[in-house]
Amino acid sequence: MGHKYSLNVVYFCTGCGIIEVPPSITARWDAERFGIIPVATPRQANLFLITGYVSVKTLRAIIRTYEQMPEPKYTVGFGSCPINGGMYFDSYNTIKHLDKYIPVDGMIAGCMPRPEAIFIGVTHLWTLIDKDMADGYKRYRRNYSAYRANQERVLGKLEWPPLFPAPGEE
Amino acid sequence: MNGLRCFRPRERNNQLLKQELETAFDGITVRIEKKNRIELSIARNGVLSVLSFLKNKGFNHLQLVSCVDWIDDGQLELVYVLSAYMKEDTFEKVEELNIILKTRIGRDNPEFITSINIFPVAEAYEREIHELYGVIFQGHPRLTHLLLDRDYSIPPFRKDFDTRLYVDDFFGSVPAVEGEGESL
Repeated sequence: MGHKYSLNVVYFCTGCGIIEVPPSITARWDAERFGIIPVATPRQANLFLITGYVSVKTLRAIIRTYEQMPEPKYTVGFGSCPINGGMYFDSYNTIKHLDKYIPVDGMIAGCMPRPEAIFIGVTHLWTLIDKDMADGYKRYRRNYSAYRANQERVLGKLEWPPLFPAPGEE
Repeated sequence: MNGLRCFRPRERNNQLLKQELETAFDGITVRIEKKNRIELSIARNGVLSVLSFLKNKGFNHLQLVSCVDWIDDGQLELVYVLSAYMKEDTFEKVEELNIILKTRIGRDNPEFITSINIFPVAEAYEREIHELYGVIFQGHPRLTHLLLDRDYSIPPFRKDFDTRLYVDDFFGSVPAVEGEGESL
């Protein structure tokens, strides 16, 4: 899996965790040592960092962004909030478990995780890619109808067509 | 540097303003809290005339419109905070006084009149209050969703909205997609 050393991460801001990303990718911590480069559009990216709490409105943008990324693609939840809601566990407008709506390959816990934690997470992701365990995009294909049902349950009717055909229609 | 020199704002006679307000409007309560803060409260049908009166007095900045849910009284309280802008050319502060205007409206099917005609900036605040407290502002051009994405049975900032119950019902009922062992 050669692309593990060239992770292009979508520059997508969600919640407060994005404040850790500019120091991580610039001179001080220099994520380019690990082959991580932020790119402007999801069509050029293969790593999606969900940096913080996900409101219902943001979930719509996350799904659209994720579906535009070319495969293979990896998703990493960053911070406590995508894992189980974090400090927004009883908020009326925040998604609690991100992995119910899009597949997640790994989570970096903490509030906030420091840049070092990002790099530990990335090296761990390398191992997963080597062992072919970072298979979120394959799970998304396999369970697409269930993911889509969960997405529509929260967001209402989605205005874009399904990314993959339903089983039996292929 | 001359342009940025600090000017002392003109001292307004708060007692005089209080007298003017009390003679102009019936049933208004004026409370001078500090040298630079006055709190007014008035019945709902006098709010717009007080707002335009204060705007003509130089309080041309509507800082925010807020709302408080007094569930025990069965009322919602609208709060308008007014102050004055600095002068555009010299940055001279013309006024240090902040005016807080409060009024109460009924909590069941709350309706009020929009203040966009006096302060256009009120549009976003009134949309927010409509969304989070369910107040309908008559004459508002677009009372659509501002921050949220969907309708709630009870507007979510009201005191009787049980967030934990809602979270359990709505988000907690979404099933996990993959079984144990399949995901990481």
